[in-house]
Amino acid sequence: MAFAQVETLANGLTLAVEEQPWNPGIALQLLVPVGATTDPQELEGAANLLEGWLWKGAGDLDARALAEAFDELGVRRGSGVGLEYTTFAASFLPEHLGSVLELYALILQKPRFEEALLEPVRQVALQELAALEDQPPRKMGAALRRAVFASTHGRYAGGSKEGLISATAEALRRDFENRYGAKGSILAVAGGVSFAEVRAAVERYLGAWGGKTPAAPEPVLTVPRTLCLEQDTAQVQIGLIYPDVGPAHPEFYSARLAAEVLSGGMGSRLFTEVREKRGLVYSVSASPQGVKGFSYLLAYAGTTPERASVTLEVLRAEIERMQQGVSMEELERAKIGLRTALVMQEESARSRVSSMARDLFMLGRIRPLSEIEAEIAAVDLERINRFLAEHPYQNPWVGMLGPNLTKHQAQSA
Amino acid sequence: MTQTATALEFKEATLSNGLTVIAEVNPEAKSLALGYFVKTGSRDETPQESGISHFLEHMVFKGTARRDALEVNLEFDRMGAQYNAFTSEENTVYYGAVLPEFGGRLLELFTDLMRPALRQEDFDTEKRVILEEIALYADRPNAMLFDYARSRFFRTHPLGNSVLGTPGSITAMTREQMIAYHARRYAPTNMVLAMAGRVDWEAALERVAQLTADWQPYAVHREYPPFEALPGDVRESYPKATQTYIALLAPGFSAQDERRYAAAVLASLLGEEGNSRLYWALTHRGLVESASAGHDDSDRAGLFYIYAQTDPQNEAQVVDVLREELNRLEVHGVSAEEVRRAKNKLATGIVFAGETPMNRLFSLGLSYQYSGVYEPLSEMARKVEAITPGQVNALLEAKPFSRGFLYRMVPQ
Repeated sequence: MAFAQVETLANGLTLAVEEQPWNPGIALQLLVPVGATTDPQELEGAANLLEGWLWKGAGDLDARALAEAFDELGVRRGSGVGLEYTTFAASFLPEHLGSVLELYALILQKPRFEEALLEPVRQVALQELAALEDQPPRKMGAALRRAVFASTHGRYAGGSKEGLISATAEALRRDFENRYGAKGSILAVAGGVSFAEVRAAVERYLGAWGGKTPAAPEPVLTVPRTLCLEQDTAQVQIGLIYPDVGPAHPEFYSARLAAEVLSGGMGSRLFTEVREKRGLVYSVSASPQGVKGFSYLLAYAGTTPERASVTLEVLRAEIERMQQGVSMEELERAKIGLRTALVMQEESARSRVSSMARDLFMLGRIRPLSEIEAEIAAVDLERINRFLAEHPYQNPWVGMLGPNLTKHQAQSA
Repeated sequence: MTQTATALEFKEATLSNGLTVIAEVNPEAKSLALGYFVKTGSRDETPQESGISHFLEHMVFKGTARRDALEVNLEFDRMGAQYNAFTSEENTVYYGAVLPEFGGRLLELFTDLMRPALRQEDFDTEKRVILEEIALYADRPNAMLFDYARSRFFRTHPLGNSVLGTPGSITAMTREQMIAYHARRYAPTNMVLAMAGRVDWEAALERVAQLTADWQPYAVHREYPPFEALPGDVRESYPKATQTYIALLAPGFSAQDERRYAAAVLASLLGEEGNSRLYWALTHRGLVESASAGHDDSDRAGLFYIYAQTDPQNEAQVVDVLREELNRLEVHGVSAEEVRRAKNKLATGIVFAGETPMNRLFSLGLSYQYSGVYEPLSEMARKVEAITPGQVNALLEAKPFSRGFLYRMVPQ
């Protein structure tokens, strides 16, 4: 089984490489700890604008020349902004490793940041924000997260309208200087390449990358409540957020297995009770999520308005019933489900680099697959049930989006 | 990881009942994937059956004479299977991946499911789930866009049929209709069982022959009416939309046509995210939230599609720029450089398409179903590599985009 080698370079960049000699390709993910949570107060959306603006040219290359340079190398690339970090992902053939790193180095160290090219980036960001209206599940999710956090963790990753409109080129350039840097950034690589080769290429192209890193804020929570957003939709969107234990907690895998029992496969409790037996929804799920410092279980269901109250009721009842424990059979299914997902994740270099980078960001280390397998195996029935009794899912934040919510709420009360 | 090309071995057999079984065996893979590819979809439905292929896909998981719905779901979960199914205009595909030790059980389960019980009670419950799915998409204008655009572009041709159906067609549907549809379409001769990854071919073949011993062979018919694209422009309001959504459909090339590779190159240089003609003309200038193009090869038909999403105030300008770009493409053709760059990206995509057995399964099963020929990824890469600018320009001589159909979905 492959394992990742990790080293933090002199400039503070953490490099992680998983050698996969059988793999004809390479996947890479660079995680820079620049996200909405550290956007300056008056500049909500700065991380999003910077990520778009960075692609508009670097060094001697204008936007088009930069894009063409990547395409010449056959690189499949993507980038995105989240709450806590920005990621740059690429997949390509091993012989291009040096050239690909050289291009990223150029983007990170010599962005052109031409003022005239900021406006289109802003327009795209504003349209993305406006389009939330046409995506009810995402709109509900964003509103629910905003209701959960008093800290900047409740922000929408794409920014706010005010922040996006008011961001000036100068303020963004300053923000880039303050936040983009090697220290705290993580470069994960997996594929048919050796650690030594990658290390040499990274030293060569990114060894001189300096810059600062902002301190990550601590999550601050609000008091749980129910949030209703009126919208004339065909379906009501329902979201629930329950506090959960995080990856550093000794019972983290008990919690992961519990989530698997609840919503892992189609034999899981939520799918069985909400969709299969009652036909209340097309989509229902509960998944472990989190930011650094706060982990939670996010449950979701979408249903037509007449059935919203009963769907919410069944959803809550099933989640909160978990404190009564799971059966041996359920635990066994959850274990095999998690283990299979792990092995299959290892087969894909692209998904592997993404989990390597996230592990390093959240935990400061990469969990070897053998360790995770051992942790999962060590959770027995008594242990998981003791955990569930001591850590019941209760007192959630609830978000609902749809038509006539207050009326339906009143009827069900 | 599947790319060590020398280790891959292709196997194929046709059982006496007419079922075709194929496998791309990779002894080094850590998992195996398998799927039943049934050549049936909304194009094979009568108007009274609108949505029945997709509804049946759901019902398949509701159990058989041997197991009820809960037992089916539990059995998948006991294997830790990652599995699902999808229905398109012309295919219904049931697929899953497991660790190698569960391969036999997964095969047994999926094979059993191909002969579902279709119980009335399950039918009534699942009908509500389908109606929820239709409601879910109704709230997402971008999901409805192509349904509407296709129905107008294809006019009376069955490729314009909706996969989901409508609340009316689903509500009126009966279990008897579904039993008849299943009997008509799920013949072994109309199905391919495909496998990829760490497959024990001999054992799998023997097992599936036993499991399907009572399946009867019979012929299944698919209509291929002639299709003539009608150029035009339709603009409709959608009450739930706040943004403007634009689709352009133009005649393309079928899954049986070798020109589909050149068409993929053309679509990539036209609309690939990050570097393409539409990217520079629209996204780079901030006129749209996103714009993309692709080529969809179907059974004896194909189309190019373009998608753009924009603020309503940009609509007229976006349509003008789009038309201008397409006109320029047809008048001046493509350059050698852009063809080379598009090919490079497609080649990398092909390498990663073989990364996991599950990824590999889809192109393996679908391409075999269309052509009856095995095409290794190395061969696909070779064909992409061989595309010349001349071949791409030849596609433009017929002026496909001038014969295209523009559909705009706008806020009320």
